[in-house]
Amino acid sequence: MTQIISRKDLLSWLERLIGERIVIAPARSNGMVLFQRASRAEDIVLDFDNTALSPKESFLPLSEALFTVDKENGNIKLMPTTVDEETVFFGIRPCDARGMALIDAPLLAAPADALYQQHRARTTLIGLACSQAGPECFCTSMGIAPDDPSNVDIMLTKVDDSYIVQAITEKGKALLPSDLIAESEVMPPPAPSLQAVLTEGIVEVMPGVFEAPYWSRLADRCLHCNICAYVCPTCYCFDIRDYIDEGSIERVRSWESCQSPGFTRLAGGYDPRSTKGARLRQRFYHKLSYFPEHFGLIGCVGCGRCVRYCPVNIDIREVISDIQKLGAQSEC
Amino acid sequence: MNAENPFIPYLATLLSTADLTPDTKFLTVELDDPDVRDRFDYKPGQFAILSAFGLGEAPFCLVSVSYRGRQLEFAVRRIGTVTNALHELEPGAKVGVRGPFGNYFSLEQYKGSNIIIIGGGIGMAPLRPVINFILDHRADYGDLLIINGARTPQDLVFAPEFATWAQAPGSRLELTVDRGDADWTGREALVPDVVKELKPSAENAIAITCGPPIMIRFTLIRLKELGFTDSQIVTTLEMKMKCGLGKCARCNVGDKYICQDGPVFTLEQISKFMEQF
Repeated sequence: MTQIISRKDLLSWLERLIGERIVIAPARSNGMVLFQRASRAEDIVLDFDNTALSPKESFLPLSEALFTVDKENGNIKLMPTTVDEETVFFGIRPCDARGMALIDAPLLAAPADALYQQHRARTTLIGLACSQAGPECFCTSMGIAPDDPSNVDIMLTKVDDSYIVQAITEKGKALLPSDLIAESEVMPPPAPSLQAVLTEGIVEVMPGVFEAPYWSRLADRCLHCNICAYVCPTCYCFDIRDYIDEGSIERVRSWESCQSPGFTRLAGGYDPRSTKGARLRQRFYHKLSYFPEHFGLIGCVGCGRCVRYCPVNIDIREVISDIQKLGAQSEC
Repeated sequence: MNAENPFIPYLATLLSTADLTPDTKFLTVELDDPDVRDRFDYKPGQFAILSAFGLGEAPFCLVSVSYRGRQLEFAVRRIGTVTNALHELEPGAKVGVRGPFGNYFSLEQYKGSNIIIIGGGIGMAPLRPVINFILDHRADYGDLLIINGARTPQDLVFAPEFATWAQAPGSRLELTVDRGDADWTGREALVPDVVKELKPSAENAIAITCGPPIMIRFTLIRLKELGFTDSQIVTTLEMKMKCGLGKCARCNVGDKYICQDGPVFTLEQISKFMEQF
């Protein structure tokens, strides 16, 4: 037996949740589907390939104060930002849920990033299995299934006009609307099949092609626009700066990218990674070599966003296949 | 480190400032909370991140040794936004301190060895606590040779301590500048050339070097000519850092995070980095 919820009841449940807490869900905006704060369930989009932007912004905001400086009677007090409101994050795809788990690895490693940890702890993830693959999707090559229930609290899988409901965690179980859920004999549909990118052995191949001219040749057309890092569900590099506004001081953490010129430039001017080729290489090495060496998993989830949005068609699927060939050549 | 929220600095007070060179100040800082002050132990080679609230924070090596006292000492060269702000502060000003971060020189492991310290410019900063540690534990180490270079005599960072270092038993201090002035009677030579001239023996020796990249590059060549192996050469690396916690990925070089895996590395370890810098 499986538990199911009808589409109509799913929307009623979401309406109920909107009344109780913050609900972030896919909605249309300027021709794109984006995760947005929902104010009514009818705005929530249930049928989409994936959102244009990854969900990471809800947990690692584009720009957020780490603390503000409180100056009273000459005494300084640092007031840390805290996350108090409970949030339901609805409609996260399995690839993006893995993306959050990947970002967790460095950010929650001791000592944990307290602010990120609060964003994560205060949020319940409701996943939506993919019933069709987008043209750039290759999650299965990264070891993720389109209906993978790992890394979410509740998983929904569409069957006809209903959704199979699986509570994955205790947190998910606590949120389920028992009054709206029915028992059913329905079976989940087969997951869609996807293009395959040969990722097997890539981590082992990477060290051998570091010096290849390939990287600077590939980077030659890069405009360092940073869209790849901006849309990526696993990029988490950040910058920390202070701002003063009319005497009030805040320390702010904002997204940054290893593709930015000056990312590694030291005070005084020395920059150990001053060329575009070295920076683009860093992006691929961080995802395909350093991250897996540190944390055991490739730092890419195959969502295909960087492929779709790169204005000069730098395509990680092609890069992986090129590296495999380069590696095979250097072995001969 | 503030384990509850590692981005929140400890509050501290700037106790005193002194000019070390025309562009470098010696800052003495005391953590405000006495419990934190007692807990804040660190070893030569480790660093802390100093905040000038409103202008930002930046990493600096701790130039003091923690067993001598609870005050933290920094040598800050005016070179960017945060260092400029720190130079402008008056004693009594509030600053923030995060840390201590990073690894440290394996001074336990170097016991019994002759130590050669080779520093250029502000690169002497992380070497000062090593020198003072060795002088405070003199019997544990062999001969100490300090080669300290700078662009001009005025740029030699720890001049007030030179007499102590030179006169300590079993220690020798060799100063050199790129360009002398009217009062300078010492060497006018580049640091790597002084290494070549003095020919320190590689036998039972550890060479610890820090300075501008070009100085390090040629110093390594000279040391290798003298027979130093990669495991006998130790340096401390500078890299853009933001968080100090291995999270922001700014200082990621190869599979290492300089803020966590470093900043101290043997040349043997560095030669395994894929990326050169």
